[in-house]
Amino acid sequence: MVAAPRLGAGPEAVAVDSTARRAYVACSRDNAVVSVDLDQFAPVWRAEAGKEPIPIVLDLPSGRLFTADARSDTVTVLNADSAARVVQLHIGQGAYPAGLGHDPERRRIFCGNTAAGTITAIDADRLEVIGTIPAELGAGSIAVDSERGHGYCANFMAGSLTVFDTETLRPLGRITVGEGPCKTIADPRADQLYVAGSLHGTVLRLSLATARPLGEIRVERAPVGMCVTPDGSRLYVCNRGAGTVSVVDTATGSETHRITVGNGPGDCGIDAASGRLLVSNAGSGTLTMVDAPWLPGAAKPPTHPAVGRPIPQFALPDARTGEIRTTREWAEKRYVIDFFASW
Amino acid sequence: MWETHHARDEALAFADVWNVAGPVLLDESGDYAAALGITGVPTNVLVDARGIVRAVGAVTPAELEQAVADLLKEQT
Repeated sequence: MVAAPRLGAGPEAVAVDSTARRAYVACSRDNAVVSVDLDQFAPVWRAEAGKEPIPIVLDLPSGRLFTADARSDTVTVLNADSAARVVQLHIGQGAYPAGLGHDPERRRIFCGNTAAGTITAIDADRLEVIGTIPAELGAGSIAVDSERGHGYCANFMAGSLTVFDTETLRPLGRITVGEGPCKTIADPRADQLYVAGSLHGTVLRLSLATARPLGEIRVERAPVGMCVTPDGSRLYVCNRGAGTVSVVDTATGSETHRITVGNGPGDCGIDAASGRLLVSNAGSGTLTMVDAPWLPGAAKPPTHPAVGRPIPQFALPDARTGEIRTTREWAEKRYVIDFFASW
Repeated sequence: MWETHHARDEALAFADVWNVAGPVLLDESGDYAAALGITGVPTNVLVDARGIVRAVGAVTPAELEQAVADLLKEQT
């Protein structure tokens, strides 16, 4: 690891401009975007977005950043150089926009609306909503195959992908992918579509040409973010439940090793100039920068260090009653603690 | 629930959406998660009747079912 600058609360996603030596991170709990210098490993500017920006897209031709702000039902557009707000587009009340896709060739941004089960199409130059595409409940992450002009929207609750034409905005079909598709990315040169299934710790590979499944890659707990190297040889998968990134050899479709990053890694990107992997850690509020991520580092012990030890004592407030609850109440009982968070 | 911002509201909304019926305790600082070495969510921690941690992780339905079955089998 080269550095892990602290950026704020809930850094969920990262976009990278290797030429300008900047990364841009959506901090969902701060309602902000933070720009980071890739050589100094330090924040450069911070700009206000809408409420709870989750994904972020950098449109290089216009030099603009787009965030989908889930709780204000907006897409915020910022100037990546100056941090100035260009516009804030309203997507529709209660839509809960939580995913973005980008077709730079056709100058379009697509926004997956989780609660509405729709996809909003935005003209990336005129910054206007130009259409709505029906999807399904849980619509979020969107992958775009610019070569074919096809978009793929992951519908988390429906366990499907909605396929659509990024030019005409017409739905083209539906692909069933199993429970909990959380993130999807496309690599047209390798004819690969990757779909992370966060509920089962897997990544499904499909052919972009035929829409047929090519195989499934087992990763770690709750894969929610992914990126592929510029040459398509490696896929990096953020395992939100484990605080790790799985490194996958795309030629063999198998995991080669895991990298320990921060808590709750949400998404990742590659700095093409240095080959470094950048990981936004929603739980620890940091951006981990990993040098030579293709090389295995120290392996994690096969068994979690807490296993076999006494549970640490707790005294924590009950969310419903405010009463302080302690370990003592569960003494001599068998129980499961499920750690969860809304971030 | 490991939640640092508006913890109670977030926890109750989350529990409502996902039908979490059991006790929901707030770990607002994340200190308890850190004490257990939890690095992400969701993560399940199974504790036996002697207060010993028996498993950490086990979040897919199959994994959780197996971990619980193993623990129950051992205790009976």
